[in-house]
Amino acid sequence: MTELASRSRRRGLKTWSAFGDLGRRPSDYEIVTHHMNHTTRPGEQPLEMGPHVRGNVWLRTHRDGMRLVVPDWDAFRDPDAVTYSTYVTAQDDQETYVEGLLERFDEAGHDEGLSDSALGLLRRVLAPSRFLAHGLQMLSSYVQQLAPSSYVGNCATFQTADQLRRVQLAAYRTTQLRLTRGTEMTEPGERWYWENDPAWQPIRKAVERALLEFDWDRAFVVTNLVTKPLTDLITVERLGAQAEAVGAPLDALILQNLYLDCRRSRRWTFALVSFLVAADPGNRAVLQEHLDSFGELARGVLDAAGRLLEVSGGQPPQAIVDTVRSAWCDMLAPHGLTAPRG
Amino acid sequence: MLLNRDDWYETSRDLDWTFSYVDPNEVFPASWSGAGDVPADAWQDWEEPFRVSYRDYVRIQREKEGGVKAVGNALSRAGVFEKLDPAHLASAHLHLGGTCMVEQMAITMQSRFCRFAPTPKWRNLGVFGMLDETRHAQLDLRFAHELLKVDPRFDWTLKAFHTNEWGIRAVKAFFDDIMLNADCVEAALAVSLTVEHGFTNMQFVALAADAMAAGDINWSNLLSSIQTDEARHAQQGFPTLAVLMEHDPERAQQAIDVAFWRSTRLFQTLTGPAMDYYTPLEQRKMSFKEFMLEWIVNHHERILEDYGLKKPWYWDDFLRSLETAHHSMHLGMWWYRPTLFFKPNAGVSPAEREWLREKYPTWERDFGYIWDQIIANVQAGDVPATLPETLPVLCNVTHLPIGGACAPHELAEHKSEYKGKVYRFDSHISKWCFDVDPERYADHPTVVDRFLAGDIQPMDLPGALAWMGITPDVMGDDVYDYAWAREYVNA
Ligand SMILES: [Fe+2]
Ligand SMILES: [Fe+2]
Repeated sequence: MTELASRSRRRGLKTWSAFGDLGRRPSDYEIVTHHMNHTTRPGEQPLEMGPHVRGNVWLRTHRDGMRLVVPDWDAFRDPDAVTYSTYVTAQDDQETYVEGLLERFDEAGHDEGLSDSALGLLRRVLAPSRFLAHGLQMLSSYVQQLAPSSYVGNCATFQTADQLRRVQLAAYRTTQLRLTRGTEMTEPGERWYWENDPAWQPIRKAVERALLEFDWDRAFVVTNLVTKPLTDLITVERLGAQAEAVGAPLDALILQNLYLDCRRSRRWTFALVSFLVAADPGNRAVLQEHLDSFGELARGVLDAAGRLLEVSGGQPPQAIVDTVRSAWCDMLAPHGLTAPRG
Repeated sequence: MLLNRDDWYETSRDLDWTFSYVDPNEVFPASWSGAGDVPADAWQDWEEPFRVSYRDYVRIQREKEGGVKAVGNALSRAGVFEKLDPAHLASAHLHLGGTCMVEQMAITMQSRFCRFAPTPKWRNLGVFGMLDETRHAQLDLRFAHELLKVDPRFDWTLKAFHTNEWGIRAVKAFFDDIMLNADCVEAALAVSLTVEHGFTNMQFVALAADAMAAGDINWSNLLSSIQTDEARHAQQGFPTLAVLMEHDPERAQQAIDVAFWRSTRLFQTLTGPAMDYYTPLEQRKMSFKEFMLEWIVNHHERILEDYGLKKPWYWDDFLRSLETAHHSMHLGMWWYRPTLFFKPNAGVSPAEREWLREKYPTWERDFGYIWDQIIANVQAGDVPATLPETLPVLCNVTHLPIGGACAPHELAEHKSEYKGKVYRFDSHISKWCFDVDPERYADHPTVVDRFLAGDIQPMDLPGALAWMGITPDVMGDDVYDYAWAREYVNA
């Protein structure tokens, strides 16, 4: 037995043969992420089934038929190198921090002291945002399920989980506010705003339309380059600033914390854009074309941002629109992409 | 003061809204949601059997990760691996090669729930499922990667599903179907309820117990830790079954009956040999049959009864197959050992044979004489006579070798003709699976079909091995170099 073990030790490997000649020791992140999509074997059906079954038709049409050209999808890396282990560790820390905020501000009577305009902002924007987050959760999970590489898919998995975090924190705050403010908070209800408030409608429209984008490259663009970054800017970052300005510091701090998740998502998103642009000279035009096709949706979302967040004592509507638009353009510009003219 | 989870939980799953810019039937196409004839409002009754908040999830899981890591650190220093029985290692190779990618595929299945499930309650639970399965894949990968330096066969943890190895292809054919091709409802019934709640439970509990006995505490600990997640998210199947029993019980019955049989065949391949042949004798806890009876049969019967389902029509044949089918499979796998990426243990030394006779009263009659012939050949120095020259015929449903699924050395032919092509099966039960849903299996050639079609060149065993990705450093051989056969010399 000892002899067997020592014999095999001589034939041991330093790392996965799938790395080929990496020229260095792979990181823990790479070891647990590399090459874990078995459905992209050249010359084979994606799934080990006949060519006509639903799953194979879907993958061939919506993933393998896309126009992006990428010689090696497994060359992409998440700049944050997130693994399951680092994700739950980091998010546990963030949730511990938020829990501390919730406890501290509850004792200080945060919600009892909110002005009418502050409460209005939370009722009209923060509380209904769980529907938006749920939409983004569905969209993110779709980006995962057709991702051509596990490096991309895993990023989308963590992004999906971030959205559930946001749903639950919004639900938590909504419940707290209902308990302290009663009908001021419950009428007409979050779903009403989400479905009827004119300032929400362009966002809802963008989410609903995005849910019909089944081609992976278009789904990625409409989710990660349009709907998510824009609504993150509006309903997380700017909403937090408005909350702070009108004296809702608890929500300002929670939103600032949630914005860390948004920024992580943006880092891998634009790292992927960069990767795609470098992978093939035609990819930039493909991305731009997709972006342009969502121009009208994006413009609707942007134009309504001012009205959505309008609150006395906060940033004026036009300034909000300008802030969001320029922040979005700044994300796209370094990659040679421009905000669609719409 | 913090709110209790149940104070706000209801609001966090109140997420349905009325779509007005697009058609909701396009957002949740029946082909992926699986809603079928179930009326839309019926899904309001879907109640998750467990509640967890994101906050608690990340806290608990972080602790679990710490636990697995702590044991791992202590043990890698101790050099435990080198002391393990090589036969036990075959179980680890087989398990990791056969299931690590399935964990990654399960992320995508859970993701399908997140996107297409017919109620937001279920869509939310899918998020935790996605995270859990990410964990399982990554734990397996980290564990196997540590061992690469001592054994290149652990490379197959990652590599296996990128090859055409026949056994892996059978695993892939099943899980690609029920995880990645299935709609949400079918996946919940076939995977969550049948596989995760039943079979993997057994796979993990049994392997963890055997690994602990073998002194492989690291591996045992990892399996148990994974199982705590599985036990939680596997429950997603129950509310789905409850809704279906109200509105479409026939679909539930058929989906579960098909999945149960296909799972049985697969676990007779993955778990049966590992438990009854690869686990060193002194460390065996229960036989595969005993485990199946206690963990699968009782369990499945109870679920069927609780939800008002009938036992599968093939139940008696299934019970009979527990006596022999995995022994046939083991014999076949050992015989075809050059086609495996690990070294199987024959597991029929005189002492082991005694154990087999005790656990399986008909074993000697059914299989003893074949092993006697193998032993005689080994003793005569004619190992080549114990090696295959051709490929076995494979089933068009299970992609496993034909012969021995229901009775040892069964000779009856099971075949169906569909759209002008003939399909062959390992049993009348697999034939039934095909006949009730032929489109699912049609036009999907087995390894042998591809061989005969000339896809594999050269058309001989070395050609087939190369096509299957089997390299000399992993190619299977008898793990004890036939020492067990020589024990019979003086008998
Ligand atoms: Fe799992
Ligand atoms: Fe699972």
